[in-house]
Amino acid sequence: MRATLYGVGYSNVYDTYLSPQEYKGMDFRVTRETMRMTTLFDGNVSAQNFFQANLSYTHNRADNNNTFAGLVNWNYGLHYQFRITENFKLLAGGLADFNGGFVYNLRNTNNPASAKAYINLDASGMAIWHVKVKNVPLTLRYQLNVPVAGVLFSPNYGQSYYEIFTLGNSDGVVRFTSLHNQPAFRQMLSVDFPVGSSKLRMSYVCDIQQSDVNEIQTHIYSHVFMVGFVKDLYRIKNKKGAPLPPSVRAY
Amino acid sequence: MILLTVVLFSSCIGEEEYDNSPQGNFDALWTIIDEKYCFLDYKGINWDSIYTVYQKKLTPTMSDENLFEVLGDMLDELKDGHVNLYSSSDVARYWNWYEDYPRNFNEAIVEKYLGTDYRIAGGAKYTILDDNVGYIYYESFSNPIGNGNLNEILQYMAICDGIIIDVRNNGGGNLSNSSTLASRFTNEKVLTGYIRHKTGKGHSDFSDPEPIYLEPSKQIRWQKKVVVLTNRHAYSATNDFVNSMRYLPLVTTVGDQTGGGSGMPFSSELPNGWSVRYSASPHFDAEMNQIEFGIEPDVTVNMEKNDEDKGIDTIIETARKLIKN
Repeated sequence: MRATLYGVGYSNVYDTYLSPQEYKGMDFRVTRETMRMTTLFDGNVSAQNFFQANLSYTHNRADNNNTFAGLVNWNYGLHYQFRITENFKLLAGGLADFNGGFVYNLRNTNNPASAKAYINLDASGMAIWHVKVKNVPLTLRYQLNVPVAGVLFSPNYGQSYYEIFTLGNSDGVVRFTSLHNQPAFRQMLSVDFPVGSSKLRMSYVCDIQQSDVNEIQTHIYSHVFMVGFVKDLYRIKNKKGAPLPPSVRAY
Repeated sequence: MILLTVVLFSSCIGEEEYDNSPQGNFDALWTIIDEKYCFLDYKGINWDSIYTVYQKKLTPTMSDENLFEVLGDMLDELKDGHVNLYSSSDVARYWNWYEDYPRNFNEAIVEKYLGTDYRIAGGAKYTILDDNVGYIYYESFSNPIGNGNLNEILQYMAICDGIIIDVRNNGGGNLSNSSTLASRFTNEKVLTGYIRHKTGKGHSDFSDPEPIYLEPSKQIRWQKKVVVLTNRHAYSATNDFVNSMRYLPLVTTVGDQTGGGSGMPFSSELPNGWSVRYSASPHFDAEMNQIEFGIEPDVTVNMEKNDEDKGIDTIIETARKLIKN
C-alpha cells in the first residue's frame, strides 16, 4: 500500500526560547506512506515507511507578531500483525523516528529561531478493520506512535546560537529524552473508500510534540485533516484474479 | 501502550498564562527579567524590591500610555542600553550611558576629514589624510564588511604610515563584522574574552566561561600602527571590537571610554503584544572582567571646544600624532 495525502489544519506552537506565549494558526502538511509485508516471523511482520512534512504560520495572542514553523519527520518501523479475525487485525511494533525543523519568530533579534532536531525510538500500535457499509468496502485504521527514548538538540537555557555554532561551545546541547522530558505522540485515524477505480483516503492526524529540556519548554500541537489517494502495491492475486484477503496483506 | 497514552495525555507542557491587564503585563515583564536578565547580580539589583515599588503604581483601569511609562521606568532600573520595551507608539530605552557624557564626536567635522571624494567599501568610509595616515570611519557594525572590502581597503592604504579606525558613535550590530575586521590586525590567535550564558532561572545560574579567540585572517593583514577612536557612544558589538583590538600589540585606543553593552540581547514579549529586549548572555574581557559599563582607552582625549570651533577633531589629531611618532 502506498498513500500520498495533503492536509490543512490547526497548529499551536510554543517555545520559551523565543517567547513565553503560544502562537496559533494554520498548518499545511503532506504525508507519504508505504506498508509492505516482510518475511520476518513467518511473514507476520509488516514494514511501514512514513514521511511527513509540515509548515505552520501562527500568530501571538495580540496578533501583532507571527512565527513560521516547519518539521520534516521520517519514521521507519516494523509491526507484528495479530490477525484477530479475517477483517480485523492489531499491529504492535517499534519505529525509528527522525525529526528536523525550525521555529522562526519574525520579530526577535538574537534569538529569532529555534532549531528542531531529534531522533526517537517509538512504540507503535495500529488497528486495521476492513468493513462493508451498504456494500461499500471501507478500511478503517487507527495508529498511535509514542517516543520512548531518544536524543534531542536544544540550546542551553540562555545560550545563543552564536555561542554554539560560531564559538563552538556545544556542551549540553544534545540531551537524552524519554517520557519524563518529551511526552509526545502522533496518532492518525483514517478511512479508505473506493472512488471509481481508485481508492481515496481521508485522515485525521493529531501530532503532539512536546519537550522540556535545558529548562526550555516547547510544544507543537497540530490537528490536521488530510486527503489523498491510496495505491495497492501487491501483485499476487488468487486463482480467480481477485486480490488476496486483508488478513494476509500488509494493510 | 494504554498506560503510556494515559500518562501522555496528562503531561501538557504549556504556557504560564498572564492576563492581558496592567497587572498581567507587569507580572509577565517582571518575570522575564527575573528569570532571563543576566546582570541582576553583577549590578546588585534587588529585583524583588523593584516589584514592590512599581507594582504600587498600577491601577486596573490605567491607560496603555501610563502602563508603558511605569514598565519603562521599571526597566530603567537596569541601566542597560540593551533593554527596551517596544509598543506600536514608542520605545522605552535607557540611553544615559552616552547622553550623560561629552559627545566627543562631530559628524560635520568628520565629514571635513573625509572630504568629498572618500571611498566606500561595505560599511566603511575611507580616505588617506594629507599626512599619509589612513582614515576609516565605520559607523555601524550592522552594515556588513566583507573580506573583499577589507582587501581593497588595506591594499589602498598599503602606502600609509598607519591607520585610524574611527568607531565613535558606532552603536553596534553584528559580532561577526567585529571579528572579521579585527582579524586583519593580528598575526596570531589571541584570547580576547569569555562568554557565559544562563543555565536556569536563578540570578546566578551561569555556565562556565567559554573562551573567545580572535583568529588571524588568512588574507591581507595590516602590519603597521593602528589607532582605534572611541567615545561613549561606541556600544555593544563596537565595545566587543574595541575589546578585541586592545589586546593587539600595534593597536592603541584613543578617545573616551566606550559605552559598554556586553550582554548579548534576546527578545521576548508581553501578553498585550509589546516586545521586550534584554541582555541575556554576558561577555567578559580576557581577564574575566565585566565590560558592561565600557572600556577605558589607552589614551584618554576629549574634543576641545576651541578645536571644534575651528573644524578640528582633537581625537583624530591625537591619533595622527601617535602614528607619526
